[in-house]
Amino acid sequence: MLVSVLNGVAIGFLLFVLAVGLSLVFGMMDVLNLAHGALFLGGAYLGAAFAGGGWAGFLTALAIAAAAGLAAGALLSLMTEPLRRRTHLDQALLTLGVALVVGEVLIIVFGDDPLAVPPPPGLDGSVSAFGAVYPTYRLLIIAVGAVLALLVYLVVDRTRVGALVRATVADREMVAAIGVDNRRVKAAVFAVGSLLATTAGVLGGPVYGARPGLDATVLILALVVVVIGGLGSVRGALLGALIIGQVDTLGRVLLPELASFILFAALALVLVLRPRGLFGGPVAATGAR
Amino acid sequence: MVDKPALTRRRLLGLFGAAAAVPVLSACGSSVGGSSGGGATGGPAAAGGPVKVGLVVPQSGVYAALGTDMQRGWELWLKGHGGTFGNRTVETVLADEGETPQTGVPAVQKVLQSDGVDIVVGLVNSATALGVGDLLKESKKLLIVTNAGAEDVTKKARTPYIWRSSFTNAQVAAAMGAHLARSGFTEGVYAIAPDYAAGSEVIAGFRTAFEAGGGKVVGEAKPPFGKTSDYQPFLTGIQQSGAKATFSFFSGSEAISFVKQYQQFGLSSTIPLYGSGFLTEGSVLTQQADAALGVQTTLHYSDQLDTPANKAFVEAYRTAYGESPSCFSVQAYDAANVLNRAVGAAPALDGDALAAALGGIGTVDDSPRGPWTFEGQTPRQNIYLRKVENVGGTLVNSVVSDLGPQSQPV
Repeated sequence: MLVSVLNGVAIGFLLFVLAVGLSLVFGMMDVLNLAHGALFLGGAYLGAAFAGGGWAGFLTALAIAAAAGLAAGALLSLMTEPLRRRTHLDQALLTLGVALVVGEVLIIVFGDDPLAVPPPPGLDGSVSAFGAVYPTYRLLIIAVGAVLALLVYLVVDRTRVGALVRATVADREMVAAIGVDNRRVKAAVFAVGSLLATTAGVLGGPVYGARPGLDATVLILALVVVVIGGLGSVRGALLGALIIGQVDTLGRVLLPELASFILFAALALVLVLRPRGLFGGPVAATGAR
Repeated sequence: MVDKPALTRRRLLGLFGAAAAVPVLSACGSSVGGSSGGGATGGPAAAGGPVKVGLVVPQSGVYAALGTDMQRGWELWLKGHGGTFGNRTVETVLADEGETPQTGVPAVQKVLQSDGVDIVVGLVNSATALGVGDLLKESKKLLIVTNAGAEDVTKKARTPYIWRSSFTNAQVAAAMGAHLARSGFTEGVYAIAPDYAAGSEVIAGFRTAFEAGGGKVVGEAKPPFGKTSDYQPFLTGIQQSGAKATFSFFSGSEAISFVKQYQQFGLSSTIPLYGSGFLTEGSVLTQQADAALGVQTTLHYSDQLDTPANKAFVEAYRTAYGESPSCFSVQAYDAANVLNRAVGAAPALDGDALAAALGGIGTVDDSPRGPWTFEGQTPRQNIYLRKVENVGGTLVNSVVSDLGPQSQPV
């Protein structure tokens, strides 16, 4: 049982790295980015492509994924800029189109057979935890996820850059009036959010593999996390991800016959009790107007 | 089924609706290969005229690899037999089945109505095979199903025009049920398969045969199909059940994840893994890598079968395509084989004449999978117990034993 809790934490941190970018872009910059799952899948395929290279390959994949994520985020920001004053539907259609194109390109490049991604050497074994056998690599996910969570929290809440981002969310015109180009703020948040998505892809490859259709699966998981946690809140995304991690593992152990809809039951419960999500205070309400 | 964020729920739903329509649109552009023109125009083809066959297999989507194998099996048979059935030249019209009935049914309709084929061959997806029954009844044309293992295709939804050269889900699983009951696992086996039609049929087929042999199923799980990537919760359930062995059925990416995680979470060293052959068939085995070693499965074919017919087949296949055949290649190869016999014996190419001829072909004695016969329009065939082994650096499904002929379970 305890090993399921541990596994829930691992899955939760992976989901956090994936979802926090979506939450920031949607909650703070008010852009619904449906290409977020495709970015994750791109990262997963990069991990698969470099899987043979040991640690060097793993780190190369991470570096390329980070660079590609930054570039893709900046590009997406540029593409959605003309749609800023339009509805979410227009943004969603554009980014969904991008997601479909990216998905097809990945199939053309990597083929449509599902690929398994082995963890880097030394982490491909298993260790004993709570009287059960547990894959070592998932412990790395917990560590990396925790560090990234702390980092994102500190940047957004404790730095000047973070303050600028929060100010842009609160009153875009006022920030522009004091001489800040808020398009650049948006591009930066978009780029970092996308970087986190591709990084999550490389990290998640050894757990989820890389296959066509995975982008849609993880996009839905990320949306669920964002809705449960509340838009634009780092703490919310972290809590939402950890809750979903537990629901998806411990919940399935305790209630196996409800496995297929327990995730969405949790989502429905949160929507009934806290329609704006657990941490979706007034800030998120403004951000998503 | 899927809930969306409250703030934009309605918009998102509309959007996903639009996304769902995309594969349907792309199906309209199904590619057509093979020959053009020709064929019988007006009235039944005279004896000796060409026979036009619509090969409907996936060329896109998650089953595309299966489609490739089938196309190769089909081509290989024709190449080795002068491209004729009986004394008629075969013209193959290729169409893309896609993933779902939304693409598969229109593809069958297209080859029947636009291309005017005499015979349809193919279909991976069971829902598609069940969905084209009326089309074939109306046009009175013959369909040989080269995969689709749903029981109902040749049971509840049986029509005289649909025959099958592959297997049924329960047939393959029942052989394993009987085998495990005989092998000292009667105290307890855990059964796990995805929660869709084929998964349920596999578990039901296994359970019936296993319990008939005195076995006890101590637990059962049905992970959500296509939505499960992490099997840890289910693996914990298996460990807690006290099972002596696990019987499983997954395919594609789920087979890769399940087998790898079964090893990562330490189950493979304590609770041996058994399964329906699709768990380790084809390209998934390469991806599962060493995690699959020792996994035992039942199937109606293995490229390791030590028979002259299979050795010649594997040799020819490897020469032509540079890789080993799968059961999917054999299913299409055998479809050509039985059609050759039926077309040669039938007075005409309509569904009634061909169905009558297929009923009379007796034992197919030169198949790579071993001898088999049609029984109720689906094969009664030998099922083999296979074990994943490393032979000269390549993982293969070695044949452990021949479990004997198996019918479609009643």
